[in-house]
Amino acid sequence: MTRRTVLGAGLALASACTIAFGECGASARRHRERRSIDALLIDESIEMLRQLPAFITASGRTLPVVGIRLDAAAHAGLRRVLDTSHAIVGISLGATLFCLERIAWDHGFRLTGRSQRCATDPGDDACRHDVAAYLSGMHPLAAMPSQLIRTYRPSRADGLLHTWVMQKSASPQLRQGRREIHETAA
Amino acid sequence: MKLPPNVSQADFSAALKAFASVVGDQWLFTAEEDLELYRDSYSILWGEPDERTASAAVAPDNADQVVELVKIANRYRIPIYPISTGKNLGYGGAAPALTGSVVLDLKRMNRIVEIDERHGYVVVEPGVSYFDLYNYIQEQGLKLWIDVPSPGWGSVLGNALDGGVGVTLAPYRSHFDAQCGIEVVLPNGRMMRTGMGALPGAKTWQQFKPGFGPRIDGLFKQSNYGVVTKMGFWLMPPPENHATGVVTTPNFRDIIPLVDAIGRLEQSKIVQGLWTLSSPTTGTPGFAAHEAGPSKQQDPKILAILNDPGGIDMDQLEAAAKSKGLPFWACDFNFYGPRKLIEAQWDCVRDALREIPGARFKLNEIRRLPLPPEELAKTRDLGPFGIPTLRTFDLGPMISYEGEDVVGHIFFSPVIPRTGEAVIEAMDVFAAIARKYKLPCPPLQFPSSLFERAFLFAVGLPVTRSATVNAKIRDIIRELVAISAERGWGEYRTAPAFYDLIMGVYSFSEHALREFLETIKDAVDPNGIMSPGRYAIRSRHLREAGIV
Repeated sequence: MTRRTVLGAGLALASACTIAFGECGASARRHRERRSIDALLIDESIEMLRQLPAFITASGRTLPVVGIRLDAAAHAGLRRVLDTSHAIVGISLGATLFCLERIAWDHGFRLTGRSQRCATDPGDDACRHDVAAYLSGMHPLAAMPSQLIRTYRPSRADGLLHTWVMQKSASPQLRQGRREIHETAA
Repeated sequence: MKLPPNVSQADFSAALKAFASVVGDQWLFTAEEDLELYRDSYSILWGEPDERTASAAVAPDNADQVVELVKIANRYRIPIYPISTGKNLGYGGAAPALTGSVVLDLKRMNRIVEIDERHGYVVVEPGVSYFDLYNYIQEQGLKLWIDVPSPGWGSVLGNALDGGVGVTLAPYRSHFDAQCGIEVVLPNGRMMRTGMGALPGAKTWQQFKPGFGPRIDGLFKQSNYGVVTKMGFWLMPPPENHATGVVTTPNFRDIIPLVDAIGRLEQSKIVQGLWTLSSPTTGTPGFAAHEAGPSKQQDPKILAILNDPGGIDMDQLEAAAKSKGLPFWACDFNFYGPRKLIEAQWDCVRDALREIPGARFKLNEIRRLPLPPEELAKTRDLGPFGIPTLRTFDLGPMISYEGEDVVGHIFFSPVIPRTGEAVIEAMDVFAAIARKYKLPCPPLQFPSSLFERAFLFAVGLPVTRSATVNAKIRDIIRELVAISAERGWGEYRTAPAFYDLIMGVYSFSEHALREFLETIKDAVDPNGIMSPGRYAIRSRHLREAGIV
């Protein structure tokens, strides 16, 4: 994962869907004040989503956008985001979500919302509209429902696009970055 | 609240209170939504009464806290189940082997204790993942390589204790064999170090594996004799170069001289990189193709032979492949080291295999390491470069079985002889089972050369959320285990649901091995608090009570 576009902190997700997809502006602006999404995570294996940071950068909006890949370099950046965020949203394939969710658990996050949308056709306007509409209505829940466990499990829908939100729960972070090295001999 | 077996509510509550006093209230987990995360997502018993689930979890920060927790567990006879990162899905994940156990979650203990470039070793705590270690080495610019399993999100220490394997050079691929020195909290709460670590102030703990006296490190692999809190591992210097080479041969029965010749090269330590077996008839390229891409369009005649419901006629397949100019076998080799070493290794491979009529050879470009990021980005498997990834999860949508979504896999993992004859027999035996139960397997499956002197013939079986379908899969595994045992093939690792089944086939001299392990268990863990049931090892009181 690379933190490709970091233009601010504690910013409104609504900006992202307005800019990136051009479909949900009114709704987004209406709700901007009450949202505090810390970052938007996008699956870099999906061609359509690679356009998103460029849209955001081009219009000077302020949303941290973090690209996700399932490898070591991405993991270091992902850990930083998970350590410093309280609510994140994402767009990814199901397989990526399955991995990400399990990594995020150790940082105190729980999946609190998810919607599987459509096939990942880069030219599919209906799909983009669908995703944008979902993001425009997404915001952190006021309180973490105690019984809410919405873990994603692999399925035939793995290849579909999943839009989701994760929030830090009351549980502490089991992983808080790498611990100190006692001794390094060279 | 779920209780451990034979533990009263009062004792359990008192134990939890004592646990919390050691680690702090926030590191004791009893809420349902927290315990949900300690289920094995790939459990073949999901949602059934026999699914192994935890009663609570406790997360210590250091080995001293582990000592205190173990003493408390003894006081109240609470079964505890240490996990490192709990990511070995399908082999149990974070779930205990005995329902009602308190999971001892060691993720917080994620210190890289010591790393030594000069002597090539690292000492880690259980919570250090392959990602952590790889990224630390990169950030520090250390001239060290690690050997990683797939997927790479698990614990370095935990993977070794589970018998995990990687894909680089032979001396490092078996992760437990690459370990050098263990610190363990014994079931009585006493801390012990193995090998040279038993010498206070030892300067060679991670340099001399045998130590003094009996070598007991192996007692902590796939067992329940203690909580391993530190472990040393030998690491390799980064190779200067990497190359792949491909050898193809035309005939099905070429596999016999092929495996023999490669085996001699491995025994001589000439071939040390992982090599893999495949068949170009399947249309799927071997790893020497480097980059991911679609399978080649297959000839309809070959496709029909591969998908024959009565089984593959290898003579027909061989003839059809020849008519299309396709070889039957392909061996993809990994070579590492100085250019002149790679070229010399390749010469040796050619010399050894050119006796096989029709053998063809191709050495791909010798590439300087490390590969530039743009090349790594398009390389489909980073494991041979010592880079951990989760790409194994990204292989496309999962399929269904018996109309149910496949949510994961469980592996049947027999070890078979390193001979072509055994390859032919195993391919035939396991393909017959796959056809019988219409398992979602490719028509041709091949053994893996991960181990140095034997093949691993891992068969992935689907896990669903249907109890009926999962019961069928469990029956298939029982059949596979029995068929294998008849042939002298045993499994090297398994999921908790099959610990007893598989330990049962290791029955030489009326189960002398199991009884010896139980004798040790009774001696070192008389209260039976440490991971009861793990790898089918239980203390006397559980055996006598028939608790599994």
